[in-house]
Amino acid sequence: MRPHLVHVLSGNSFALSDTQGDMEVDPYAPIGLFSFDTRFLSRWVLSVDGERLHALSRDELTYFETRFVLVPGTASHYVDSDISVIRHRSLDESFHERLTVLNHSVQPAEYTVRLEIGSDFADTSEILRPAPRRPVVAADSNRRQLRLRHQRDEFIRETLVTSTEPVAVDEQGMTFQIRLAPNGEWHTDLVVATIIHGAGGRDLRASLQSHREHVHHTMNTELTRWLDRAPQLVADRKSLESAYRQALTDLAALRYVPLTYREPVPVGGLPWAMALYGRDAMITCLQTLPFTPELTPATLHLLASVQGGQLDDYHDEEPGKILAELRYGEAAAFGEQPTAIYYGAADTTPLFVVLLDEYERWSGDGDLVRQLRHPARMALDWLDEYGDLCGDGYLRYQTRNDLTGVANQIWRNSPDAVADRDGRQPPFPRATCELQGYAYDARMRGARLAREFWDDPAYADRLEADAARLRDRFNRDFWLPDREYYALALTPDGEPVDALTSNLGHLLFTGIVDPERSAALAAHLSGPELFTGWGVRTYATGQRPYNPVGPHLGAVWPSDNALIAAGLRRYGHDAEAARIAAGMFAVVETMGGSVPEVIAGYPREVTKYPVRLPAAGRPQSWASGALLMLLATMLGLRPCGDNLLVRPEIPVGYGRIELTDVPGRWGRADSFGRERPPGRTSPRLRGGQSGPGQPHRATAG
Amino acid sequence: MGDAAADYLNDRVAGRHPDLAEYIRGTLRLDLRDGGSTEHWHLTIDRQEVRVSRSFDVADLVIRADRGVFDRIAQGREHVAAALLRNDLTVEGNLELLMTLRRIFPGPADARHPRDVARGGSR
Repeated sequence: MRPHLVHVLSGNSFALSDTQGDMEVDPYAPIGLFSFDTRFLSRWVLSVDGERLHALSRDELTYFETRFVLVPGTASHYVDSDISVIRHRSLDESFHERLTVLNHSVQPAEYTVRLEIGSDFADTSEILRPAPRRPVVAADSNRRQLRLRHQRDEFIRETLVTSTEPVAVDEQGMTFQIRLAPNGEWHTDLVVATIIHGAGGRDLRASLQSHREHVHHTMNTELTRWLDRAPQLVADRKSLESAYRQALTDLAALRYVPLTYREPVPVGGLPWAMALYGRDAMITCLQTLPFTPELTPATLHLLASVQGGQLDDYHDEEPGKILAELRYGEAAAFGEQPTAIYYGAADTTPLFVVLLDEYERWSGDGDLVRQLRHPARMALDWLDEYGDLCGDGYLRYQTRNDLTGVANQIWRNSPDAVADRDGRQPPFPRATCELQGYAYDARMRGARLAREFWDDPAYADRLEADAARLRDRFNRDFWLPDREYYALALTPDGEPVDALTSNLGHLLFTGIVDPERSAALAAHLSGPELFTGWGVRTYATGQRPYNPVGPHLGAVWPSDNALIAAGLRRYGHDAEAARIAAGMFAVVETMGGSVPEVIAGYPREVTKYPVRLPAAGRPQSWASGALLMLLATMLGLRPCGDNLLVRPEIPVGYGRIELTDVPGRWGRADSFGRERPPGRTSPRLRGGQSGPGQPHRATAG
Repeated sequence: MGDAAADYLNDRVAGRHPDLAEYIRGTLRLDLRDGGSTEHWHLTIDRQEVRVSRSFDVADLVIRADRGVFDRIAQGREHVAAALLRNDLTVEGNLELLMTLRRIFPGPADARHPRDVARGGSR
């Protein structure tokens, strides 16, 4: 995303403008006001007496509120201006803009304030080349209203702009003739409603229980409550505290209430992924369980309610499969994209079971596990019946929608992401290694759920036996003995795709790795081919396809790194985990603001500063969630029976970290950790007295 | 093919649907519009059992569409989610129940098993 753009956002709605607050179509950025995957404003340009405005300052008050202070003219001569203009913009259910004009002169003054307004009703998938549409425009000066309406068959989207002050409305905008007293001021409130037509010509959302029941607190109250419910962080390193608060705020911003469920769930992130992605949402939930656990039951419920029910090639749907992507725009509605309900992901289904189990371990919410037995069981059945495409026991993917389906149905979803060291891309169906880890983990966790909650010990035994066979087979077929790591994937013939990638960390995270091999993986993950100093590259240097700005061929993803660090700690490689956490914290500290989705894979000593990729967005749910997960990993937070276990491994330079009121089955509990004095080796997990670097049970808060 | 939805509702919907999650309970009413008249079908879902009646009773979710839209759904030629987005199908009430239609009505007749596609060779 271009750095000089300004956003306000709320759920799956956002407005992106230039630094003056103006919105004008740009093929390379989704500029305008968007909601439910439709652009409702593509032109929103302010002028005074025919002159565009220049920004003196901007206050980004919260994620949903920004104030621009402007003067007429360009930078070269604005100092002489007799007036200033304030645009105070906010976004909740609607878009609001309060325009204020201040007269700094002792003389009365008259001005013509003009706001150009237009919409192309573009779908988020067609920003580069929006389809030509001819919205019907109705200008009504008496009602101070401009109505823009796009209709295709019964599909109707409408933008309704209303002013509180008298105004002359024409089809291209609104003109205010204003008169200002000496040192006087004038203002009007503009409200832009974004309407999705549903039953009886009313807004679709008005007819839905989920949206009627959702309590609408004011946005500020809602944010304050969200932050208050989360654990409190006190750190010697103050930048960590602000990064923590920013991450929590991002997660609050990136929640929306879907049509089919009453509680908010995470969207992917700004600006290209402001929709529900099963993978992003579930990874975000896994990352945030010790902090904002409320995201998880909502996400699981929603994903269960839209779980695949039939075989459907176009949507890559199979019974039991968990959703990949859900959008509401015109392209989805008319089948130009399969995204009305798309299942093109091979990892979401096992992750559903992993998340359900992990949530219970933290929350103790056995009722949810019992309630979601059927969807979880269907997900586990899917692994055998539909996920194992070659009948060799490995989870694989191959789209059945050759036209608009996603080729790589994994977290490395760019088209060229799966390639061997020489750049050869394997044929489909592809069995990538992390999928096997997730499938193993899902079965192991499913077995626990079957035994403890579903009263089905025979099924538990079967799942464990399947998991054990998968683990054996995987450790035999994927392991490259000469290189001492697991292959990125297997071809349909069982040939290894020999690339060295960050997926090794996912394998540690899932527990599929033979413990005797974990040290070799830890060495790779912290060695110079993979570790940049900021974090672990998706794809190691020294291989032909390596490209530091290739999203999955060399760039560094915080979401990826959070899983890697957790995986390293799972196998006891605490120092390596701490290095990664320190690198990631340094990215956030250096760049400020929200955690970026992805940064380039250049070595840290070369660039000194994290380099952002042009297409990378922020905030992103799983990037912000990554910071929380890294924090939890550094403190070594883990549910153990009804207690919170704390086993800190704090990076050098971070002093003391306290995280209090961590929610879970214990109620609330406090945790703390301190960086270990130099020269002391990693302690072994054991009971006994708690202290820095040693395990302790959290104190009840 | 003129009465695909009505025929399907008559013959294939009542009874046990093991694909429905046990926890789903509720009532749906399908209002099939046909010119000036509307045909009402009332579905009660409770622990994987579906009861069907021709009735105008209130329901947790009311789904309205032209008969042709329901016919296409009954033939597996239309996904309810896309029909909803196009506003060819309108809803009132608890939309969580909408996707139960995906378990009650069939998918596309020409859909392939992923394994068969995999056997057909790679692209």
